Amino acid sequence: MTTPKLSIERVGKVFEGRSSRVAALDEVTLDVAAGQFLVVVGPSGCGKSTLLDLLAGLTTPTSGRLLVDGAPITGPGLDRGVVFQQYALLPWRTALRNVEFGLEGKGLTRRARTDTARQYLDLVGLSGFADRYPHELSGGMRQRVAIARALAFDPDVLLMDEPFAALDAQTRETLQDELLRIWETTRKTVVFITHGIDEAVYLGQRVAVLTSRPGRIKAVVDIDLGDRRQTEDVRSTPLFAEYRHQIWSELHGEVARAQRSELSAREVVSVG
Amino acid sequence: MADTEVFSAQLPSTIDRSAIHSPDDAAPVAARTMARRTPGDRIRPLVRHLLHAAATVSRKSIAVVAFLVLWEIAPRVGLVDSTFLVPFSTAVHALWDLARSGQLWDDTRVSLTRSVIGFGIAVGIGVPLGLVIGWYRTVADILNPLLELFRNTAALALLPVFILILGIGETSKISIVVYACTFPILLNTITAVRGVDPTLVKAARSLGLSTPRLFRQVVLPSSVPTILTGIRMAAASSILVLIAAEMVGAKDGLGYLINAAQQNFEIEQMYAGIIAISLIGTIVNALLVRLERRLTRWRPASR
Repeated sequence: MTTPKLSIERVGKVFEGRSSRVAALDEVTLDVAAGQFLVVVGPSGCGKSTLLDLLAGLTTPTSGRLLVDGAPITGPGLDRGVVFQQYALLPWRTALRNVEFGLEGKGLTRRARTDTARQYLDLVGLSGFADRYPHELSGGMRQRVAIARALAFDPDVLLMDEPFAALDAQTRETLQDELLRIWETTRKTVVFITHGIDEAVYLGQRVAVLTSRPGRIKAVVDIDLGDRRQTEDVRSTPLFAEYRHQIWSELHGEVARAQRSELSAREVVSVG
Repeated sequence: MADTEVFSAQLPSTIDRSAIHSPDDAAPVAARTMARRTPGDRIRPLVRHLLHAAATVSRKSIAVVAFLVLWEIAPRVGLVDSTFLVPFSTAVHALWDLARSGQLWDDTRVSLTRSVIGFGIAVGIGVPLGLVIGWYRTVADILNPLLELFRNTAALALLPVFILILGIGETSKISIVVYACTFPILLNTITAVRGVDPTLVKAARSLGLSTPRLFRQVVLPSSVPTILTGIRMAAASSILVLIAAEMVGAKDGLGYLINAAQQNFEIEQMYAGIIAISLIGTIVNALLVRLERRLTRWRPASR
């Protein structure tokens, strides 16, 4: 068997507060093959974002280890690009200059940076908006810029933390299709975090369901919808509904449990 | 007809812009647009534009004009004793005489040199120190109580101490300006750094930025607007404190001019000095506001 692109091995993460200990993740084990589109779905506060931060190298696990291409993750690196829910664009830079931001650590010439950035703005469909500032763009467009930024330095892995959660339904669906198209074009390995079941089924080749606090892998569901964009309105097909129901059943108990523990532990800081 | 419609559709944006930005960047746009129109088409919009500009100017200046009129009339009709409050026109006349004799320029130059040096040193201390205190929690915990103590000690209360230690020369005056200017800059810089959007920091870290690059490319640029507010406050207090210092012990400078005029009972000159100071303060502030706009163009218009 070949080395998986990403390996998460018995990873646990505990946050130590002043008066509390919150176990965000517990014994999470998961492999992601190169080129795979993995969606992690779970109730709010299940540690999904913690898992993504760990993969991004922004924080370290309390136990277990994470590997990229068989080598332990020691910190952030340009082999992984991250897309955040809040876009995280630099407001004083234009769209183009935001995309260039990730390229600045790569030792390219200014000219090469601009060319590459333009190419990726084209890829996300924002060719005409290179000189706009983030506040002049809609939410969907900002997230496109953020995706272009994460792709521009050509990472092997794209880590996405509920990237479409703040968008309206129409824009979200458009961007989901765009993302699938980009994934097919670039063949990146994608780890996509969401709390939406529909989104998980629509996007994922595999969907990992996380339990509520502490987050554990409850089930991993393989999704095969054929070519999603060949089928008209794939979300209405019986197969889609079947997958949806399967994940819903896995999640259902967890959501209820998460809400109960949320109520009983209001003072505990959210770790979602 | 269609032409007129296009034009009137453009006009509001021209007016809007002149209201938000400086009128001088809107004017060429309007002029260029109008050059292409026939005379009949352009009269009405031009008149409307001028009326609008006139309305803006009069709305903004009405209070100042009313105040100056009151100042002019009150001493003349005997509402106040004209020995102590000379009419505005008399003060302006005295200002003109001072300017012609070169004395006004000499004193202004002396004062501005002192405050610019002091202000510059304060920026040099306040911004870097503020960045460090704002970023490192431990440094903040250690220094905050001391800063709080200093900040609440009025700069002028320390003036005798500065004079005692540093003498009556330039050093003590520049030092008091440095002291007074450092705090607004320092505290605003700390606030600015604390207010940096954590997701921007996270995103920058995920791109593998080193701490120095993170500072230069994320923390500093996003702090610029708040730091500039501090700089504007500092500029105002640099003039304030300096004038007071010059009144206490100096042989030149605008503060000295005002104080000496009062003691020699040259009341018109005293008021002339006061007008000069308020003009300088207003001009400095306007320049800084311009600088602020230039450096924060990326921000969405707040009004």
